[in-house]
Amino acid sequence: MKISLNWLKEYIDLSDITTEEISDKLTAAGLEIEEIIDQRKVFQNFVVGYVKEKQQHPNADKLSLCKVTDGQNIYNVICGAPNVDAGQKIPLAKIGATIPENNFKISKAKIRGEVSEGMICSERELGISDNHAGIMVLNENVKVGNSLSDELGLDDVIFDINVTPNRSDALSHIGIARDLSAIFNKPLKIPEIKLKESERDINELASVEILNSHDCPRYFAKVVTDVKIKESPEWLKKKLFNIGLRPINNIVDITNFVLYETGQPLHAFDLDLLTDKKIIVRNEKSKIKFTTLDNKEREIIITDLMICDGKRPVAIAGVMGGQNSEVTNNTKNVLIESAHFNSSAIRKTSKRLGLSTDASYRFERTVDPNIPPYAAERAAQLMIELADGKVVKGLIDIYPEKIQPKKVSLRFNRVTRILGFEIPKESVLLILKNLQFSILKSDDSKIEVQIPTFRPDIEREIDLIEEIVRIYGYDRIPPVQKISITLEERIYQDTFNDRLRDILVSLGFFEIFSNSMQKEENANKFGKAINVLNPKSYEMASIRTSLIPGMLMTIKKNLNVQEKNLRFFEIGQIFNRGKDGEIKDFSDFIEESKLLLGITGKATESEWYEKDRQFDFYDLKESVEQTFEFLFQGVQFVDLYHKEGNNFFEYYFEREFKGNKVGIGGKIRQDVLEYFNITQDVFVFDVNLDILKQIQLSNKRYNELLKYPKVVRDFALIIDKKIDNSDVMKFIFKNSINILKNIKLFDIFESVSLGKDVKSLAYQLEFWDNEKTLTEEEVDKYFWDIIEKTKNEFNAKLRGE
Amino acid sequence: MLEQIKKTLTDFDTEILELNSSDELETIRIKYLGRKGILSQLFDDFRKLTGNDKPIIGKTLNQAKIDITNKFNQVFEKFKSGTKASDFYIDLSLPGRKSLVGSKHIITQTLDEVKNIFKGLGFSIYEGPELESDYNNFEALNFPDDHPARDMQDTFFVSEKFLMRTHTSPVQIRLMKEKKPPLRAIMPGKVYRNEALSAKSYCLFHQVEGLLVDTDVTFAELKGTLVSFAQQLYGKDVKYRFRASFFPFTEPSAEVDIWWEQQGKEGRWLEILGCGMVDPNVLLNVGIDPEKYIGYAFGMGVERMALLKYGIDDIRLLFDNDIRFLKQFISV
Repeated sequence: MKISLNWLKEYIDLSDITTEEISDKLTAAGLEIEEIIDQRKVFQNFVVGYVKEKQQHPNADKLSLCKVTDGQNIYNVICGAPNVDAGQKIPLAKIGATIPENNFKISKAKIRGEVSEGMICSERELGISDNHAGIMVLNENVKVGNSLSDELGLDDVIFDINVTPNRSDALSHIGIARDLSAIFNKPLKIPEIKLKESERDINELASVEILNSHDCPRYFAKVVTDVKIKESPEWLKKKLFNIGLRPINNIVDITNFVLYETGQPLHAFDLDLLTDKKIIVRNEKSKIKFTTLDNKEREIIITDLMICDGKRPVAIAGVMGGQNSEVTNNTKNVLIESAHFNSSAIRKTSKRLGLSTDASYRFERTVDPNIPPYAAERAAQLMIELADGKVVKGLIDIYPEKIQPKKVSLRFNRVTRILGFEIPKESVLLILKNLQFSILKSDDSKIEVQIPTFRPDIEREIDLIEEIVRIYGYDRIPPVQKISITLEERIYQDTFNDRLRDILVSLGFFEIFSNSMQKEENANKFGKAINVLNPKSYEMASIRTSLIPGMLMTIKKNLNVQEKNLRFFEIGQIFNRGKDGEIKDFSDFIEESKLLLGITGKATESEWYEKDRQFDFYDLKESVEQTFEFLFQGVQFVDLYHKEGNNFFEYYFEREFKGNKVGIGGKIRQDVLEYFNITQDVFVFDVNLDILKQIQLSNKRYNELLKYPKVVRDFALIIDKKIDNSDVMKFIFKNSINILKNIKLFDIFESVSLGKDVKSLAYQLEFWDNEKTLTEEEVDKYFWDIIEKTKNEFNAKLRGE
Repeated sequence: MLEQIKKTLTDFDTEILELNSSDELETIRIKYLGRKGILSQLFDDFRKLTGNDKPIIGKTLNQAKIDITNKFNQVFEKFKSGTKASDFYIDLSLPGRKSLVGSKHIITQTLDEVKNIFKGLGFSIYEGPELESDYNNFEALNFPDDHPARDMQDTFFVSEKFLMRTHTSPVQIRLMKEKKPPLRAIMPGKVYRNEALSAKSYCLFHQVEGLLVDTDVTFAELKGTLVSFAQQLYGKDVKYRFRASFFPFTEPSAEVDIWWEQQGKEGRWLEILGCGMVDPNVLLNVGIDPEKYIGYAFGMGVERMALLKYGIDDIRLLFDNDIRFLKQFISV
């Protein structure tokens, strides 16, 4: 919200306080200043210039060459506006100036071969109005060479304030001035109203009826007759323009002015356009179409509160007026609406229509229910002054149940207990008084405070404590530089994942974070997607059901930049629907914690000591095995191999622990890769961390080191190509005695000389006995026995036989 | 016998360096490695040994066989490519053999820094689900239904009552419901905002929230804790300010800014975290008596800190996972 410093000064004396101080203190008190626009700084290099000569630009029909002086020097300025002429006083942007409209910085430039040393500006370029019909021609009595901000009174400072949703009271100049009054302990001056009313009685001219007093607890109206619609005076236009509003006409501008002065939204109806001169606040009985004054047709439903006349709706309550009753140039008589609406009702309508206005923004944050009379009368008074109107006698105020101020007690020792610091009682009382809270009762230990109705956010003792400390200043509370630690158990739920990350990094993987929000199509390809009810784009319409699409998209993005050799991992949550229909409970969906490994491209690049090599299935397997070894050394997992593949994998393997699947992965199928536009092989492994985390490691015990030598024997089998290594190994282990401790496949070999459909598998066996040294003869006996059995089992031959 | 082995090794070394032709190479192979060669004889002798030192001798002999075989193979390779053994030249400037390197994402690295500081201050670490109930994410945290406070956080709703959590605060609710005070924990995790992607905002980010509930907690202590945190992260001389703010779940609430100066740029206040005393309504919602217990809470965005620290001006870079970006943060 934009607030003008000059405007603020009408309610509080800030003459001895710097802009910076105001900004710092407001920010500290919770009204964060996001931007300060100091017009003097904005117009630093703008002066009143005088056009001495004007000539046609030799190379451009629509441009003129002007000689402009600032009283000292003469500048060549090229101007494109048709209305520029010699003898005019004009706003001149000199070299170094920045044009407010578009932040264009003026420098010496050549335009179609001619030098230009400045710019003659329009009002819009100066950011002081919407007028861009031509350059701004200044008044005769301004002095050439003077700064533009002095001559035009462009000396305001505009604060852009981020008002938090609890502070509906601060959405106006008086509201901000009230906080400043408490911060600087200076009195607040509220403009007094003295209305001279005409003889006619309001009840002869208009009537109001509320049919839904829940959503409209109060409707206050004043009537002004014989108004003359015209442009507002300069001071009012400037005020509105400076805070970002477009001046329209005097009546509309007055309602906007009062809104930004008091925070109460007003609406001015053309009284003569109200059927039966009647206002009825009610809901429609069925859906209707209604055209608002921005000329848009909107659908109104039965829960939307409407302001109606004797036969039809004339405004969406608290949101926007209707085209059928708006003030026009022909308007003579005006009904000023100054009502109080239920915040939740206005919010629902505003949200549903996607229509947020200055009025709805305030009503949905709750406006003071007791300000409407002041705001309406203030507007009426200004209509006398600025529109030659006549205010008719009396008022209409339908307010069946008056909203009373709340009372809250405050214990001084509670303030100290919460803050850990004592604020003197006098300061507490002064702050509350300056914020216009009244002290009803007080004793040494506590006070009872009456909360003004413009502060609906203050309901409890703790709210008062915040009021006191935010004005007193958080910076005045000393930080306690000690920490008392209760020695209860520390729990670190993140340890497992942290360890996992360390392991994967040590194995050469790069961690990625991909977007959990995805296209519905991608999410449904890999699971049963949960969709977002209110997606902002279709790219983020579903929640991921798997980490795989994110991985493949990441790989694709890297391939696009010629990065082809990739090892990635991601740790994250995935979400799948448990059943169809609306999600009403945690049991309706499954959230799982996952790890995904992904590798593609080359495992090793060409080096002086080795050749390059592509990643394959066995690289993936090794990474999985290493990771599990680091996490669970000695724990037995069972791997199941699937050569036939499934929907995602050309071939894959699954890893189980005690019958539970902990992971699955392999080579991604070609059609899946094509879907993601990937043209090289990708291998991924998907691990369920929820199950993995539950695996308990038994306490590690030291194993005595071997005292007796190992005996090693090698042999190679020529065996049917289609027999798996794992089957051979399993058989050997099953059929040997316990001195065989290790078996390793160290060579695989296929060649024509071996024969068709066979391969050579070379194994190394390690034998030892924990109790004694084995003799060569002993080992040889077992060794040859194993070989014989294996040969028979697999119908194999011993190589070299 | 050990002497014999040693001598064999020395002899082999001398002979292999002096040889001139591949014929001589074959002679050496037969002499040392052949079926009836020196090593084979040594193994025969070894088998007949009985003494205590048999294992040691066996080991030495095995190693000698490996060494001789390796050297022989090396020289054999060289001969194949026409180099003599005496031409051996060691180029120490060749690059070392590569092993793989990887890295943790800078989001993780930044998160780790934050976690370590709070672990040092005695905080536990808790996690919770990302798909949450409206109750845990909003209602229990004192966000009234249909209140503009809800607009502060654009939400991905998946049903009327379920949503992608907009902050890690629901973990506070879960923790306070599960355990009795005293409580001291931080809750790191992913949170979601239904916003269009831009350089400044992403639809998800990581947050760390902290919660402390005990009988004698004060705002001054909260301030002390956060000042200590800021000093550990941004240096002892960090300039900071606490300013009033609004969060439905804390009262009083504040935001903390630090003064940030980058070379060649004007200094400015930068918000690094939000904090406050746990609102009594929140304590009541989880069955903790607000007269007896007081709590404080704070929260910060991890991505923001990472962007600041490394001078990154587009948050989307963090989620693009371009390997050229990730490789810049192998060491930080």
